[in-house]
Amino acid sequence: MMLAVNIVMLVAVLAPVLLVVWMSFTPTASFVLPLGDFSLRWYREALSYPGFVDAFFLSAELAAIASLITIAATFLAAYGLVRFRPRGREALMAVFTAPLLVPAVVFGIAMLQFINQLGLYNRLVGLVLAHVILVIPFAIRSLVATLGSVPEELEWAAMMLGRSRAGTLWHVTLPLCAHGLVTAFLFSFLLSFSEVTTTIFMSGPSLQTLPVRIYNYMSDRIDPTVAAVSALVVMISLALVLALNLMGGFRRLAAR
Amino acid sequence: MAVDAANISSAGASASRLRLRPHWPFIAPLILVMAAGFAWPLLHVLVNSFHPNTPQGLDAEHWTLTNYRRLADPLYGEILLRTLRISAAVTAISAVAAYPVALFIARLSPRAQSWMILAYVSPWLVNTVVKALGWTLLLRSNGVINTALRAIGLIEQPLRLLLTETGVVLALVPGHFMFVLLPLWTAISALDPALSWAAGTLGATPAGVFRRIVLPLTLPALIVGLVINFIMNMTAFAIPMLLGGVRNQVASMLAYQVDLVSLDWPFGGALAVALLGFTLALVFVGQKLAVIGLSSRGGKPEVSPS
Amino acid sequence: MSLEVAGVRKAFGSVRALSGVDLSVPQASFFALLGPSGCGKTTLLRVIAGIYASDAGKVALGGRDITQVPMHRRNMAMVFQSYALFPHLCAFDNVAFGLRSRRLPKDEIRSRVAEALALVRLEHLLQRYPCEMSGGQQQRVALARALAVRPDLLLLDEPLSNLDQRLRDEMRVEIRDLQRRLAITTVLVTHDISEAFTMSDRIGVMQEGRIVQIGSAEEIYHRPANRFVANFVGPINELPLTQVEGDAGGARALLAGQFSVRLPALTRAGPPGSDLTLILRPQALRLGVEEGETANRYGAEVEDVVFLGASSECRLRIGPLRLLAALPAGSGAKLAAGDKVMVGWDAADGVVTDGR
Repeated sequence: MMLAVNIVMLVAVLAPVLLVVWMSFTPTASFVLPLGDFSLRWYREALSYPGFVDAFFLSAELAAIASLITIAATFLAAYGLVRFRPRGREALMAVFTAPLLVPAVVFGIAMLQFINQLGLYNRLVGLVLAHVILVIPFAIRSLVATLGSVPEELEWAAMMLGRSRAGTLWHVTLPLCAHGLVTAFLFSFLLSFSEVTTTIFMSGPSLQTLPVRIYNYMSDRIDPTVAAVSALVVMISLALVLALNLMGGFRRLAAR
Repeated sequence: MAVDAANISSAGASASRLRLRPHWPFIAPLILVMAAGFAWPLLHVLVNSFHPNTPQGLDAEHWTLTNYRRLADPLYGEILLRTLRISAAVTAISAVAAYPVALFIARLSPRAQSWMILAYVSPWLVNTVVKALGWTLLLRSNGVINTALRAIGLIEQPLRLLLTETGVVLALVPGHFMFVLLPLWTAISALDPALSWAAGTLGATPAGVFRRIVLPLTLPALIVGLVINFIMNMTAFAIPMLLGGVRNQVASMLAYQVDLVSLDWPFGGALAVALLGFTLALVFVGQKLAVIGLSSRGGKPEVSPS
Repeated sequence: MSLEVAGVRKAFGSVRALSGVDLSVPQASFFALLGPSGCGKTTLLRVIAGIYASDAGKVALGGRDITQVPMHRRNMAMVFQSYALFPHLCAFDNVAFGLRSRRLPKDEIRSRVAEALALVRLEHLLQRYPCEMSGGQQQRVALARALAVRPDLLLLDEPLSNLDQRLRDEMRVEIRDLQRRLAITTVLVTHDISEAFTMSDRIGVMQEGRIVQIGSAEEIYHRPANRFVANFVGPINELPLTQVEGDAGGARALLAGQFSVRLPALTRAGPPGSDLTLILRPQALRLGVEEGETANRYGAEVEDVVFLGASSECRLRIGPLRLLAALPAGSGAKLAAGDKVMVGWDAADGVVTDGR
């Protein structure tokens, strides 16, 4: 019986995603499941649709910039929290994970109004800021764990041998955290790339990320083109997920 | 310990002063980012909610409570009710499915477990718009579900699943299931297996072991997961919008209407504040429920040396 | 009830935890399974309890084959190393758990819980939760929980290893007294030799999934079945032998190719001259022996003397051989490194093994 529930749930979780990918290969203009004659026709359509191509590059650029900023700032903060163990450590962690308590819709509304009233509407800066905030809670948990696994004695040894704290950070700590940093970066990238609700609320007409572009397209009509571009999104996302899994990143991130 | 680290990096200063200084340059950048991108916008929208709205836009000179009073309008009551209804349905279904799935996974080999968890978690990392497209394909009149049901003769006319609340519920259940599954599975995995063995040798049947040992000890985790799940349901946007349509408005769709179409930001602010308040209240209640359960519970006993 | 285990095998994937185990524990006796970690003793206990199903063999309780009986119907009780107290239940409810599973009437449950907690002297802790108890108290509640159901067999899986030394010694005596008073057949798993020696009637020594010797503490110490048992149970001197000859009447051999040595009667039918070792306990060596006092007597040089309080240890050399002698308190004071001394032992001391 448990197996049955599990199968039903698993199918329900995976079906929409797999269906989109499968359907994207349909040779016909209507949604008929391709059972044998797979066609790349809609992929060609999707890749030649400037809206999607621009949106893809915007999404990638946004994810990269937001992730870099997040990882840099969060790594430093994590270092401060783990090595110096300041008094307000729990409070600071609560602050850094607070965005998890704010629903995406609420944050989107807040950013929309805020960005506009600062005159920064339809600018990349606003989106970067929002995505950074959304990603910080995950990054801080992951990097605190990463730093926790580097024994402090190594840094003491380096400093006793003459390196300043900054030098130790650069030459000893950072290399030892490389794996954790890459994992956190990939996960942040993935989160930003897949962000929907907040971005919809904040997006102006000329700054549409890929999910937003797909959303707007779907609000109008549904055709295999959008299935193809969605399938591409799925493949990119799943590739990143697999990469993360191979790097062992999920064990650290899944544990709440 | 903090004093040791601090002493190595800057010797010669007094201990109490040292505790404040060395970590701030590291933590400051992130705090600034959080202040600029998180605290300030939220405060901003809170302030906005107390200004009146005029045809020329937000009137920053005056203050009012009308935006909040507007929230009580019965017009919005229907939307609230629908949002609650959908959220409750999704959470209820998830609650029922949670234990069977979590227990099933917890009994697999460790490798199989991590693949299963990956299977449940990865769709969350694919954006919801793509999933909404997938559900559209499944729920349409000539979509996969209807075609399959007609093919095996269960129905004659296609079921209307798209643009209904049912469709939204069906799509949200697997979409947000992970938030219930992960905390529960983590709690089950953390249980000392000796507890179940002890209960077994003392005469409890397998069902008895679940009812008297596993359930009480993992219920707090389930509650936490259900609260998160409920909040995600209440504030979902893309799926209700694309699968439910304008005739099935939920709270987030109202927010879209207000903020991006009517551009009534004061009211939008009030709505945002109300949603946030509701979320925080739920989290608080959920934590309290979980703590009541956790106060004399937990995984392994604390063994003190006396 | 008596316990019989016959031919039990258990493998986990490619790891063979139990490779054919036979043992029998008479009614109301206390049996200890002794061995290093990884030898399979805990696995065997779990097979007896029904937690694991064996791949082969059978388990019988009071003459009845219970191999197929599920664990909640075997009427055994187990005290786990981690105690496994239910953290969400107070002491009363923990102890009552097994009684509630048997659907006993409320009054009887109350009286039996009180009785069980009185046995371990914790009547006052009824409403306490495990997280509010010390390790020693948790251990005793776990014991009370097991005793409350009046099991046919009591299983103890290293229940004392998380306690400090003083408590451990106290509990050993308490548990042993309780077992005698209640006459419950008991099996204890431990890696602690003194625990096995002080508590049990008979001991089964396990090595790599097999029982290699069953006997009383005295038998195991003085007549170990092989080198592993001898070495596990206490420090030993291992002296390789060559040119072994003899029979049931007596035997002799050469030590280090030069010293003639008289051995205990050979019980093993090994071909003379094959690869044998003489195992001697440090206590068997006597220093300062006169001519004729012992069958074996050699000149030795003292390498080192270590004072250990209740005894002293003395390292000696006889030619190329190095030995360890245990000296009672005080007698080591007169010896120093470099001294020459006569050391000896009786022909019947020690055990000859084939080095396994």
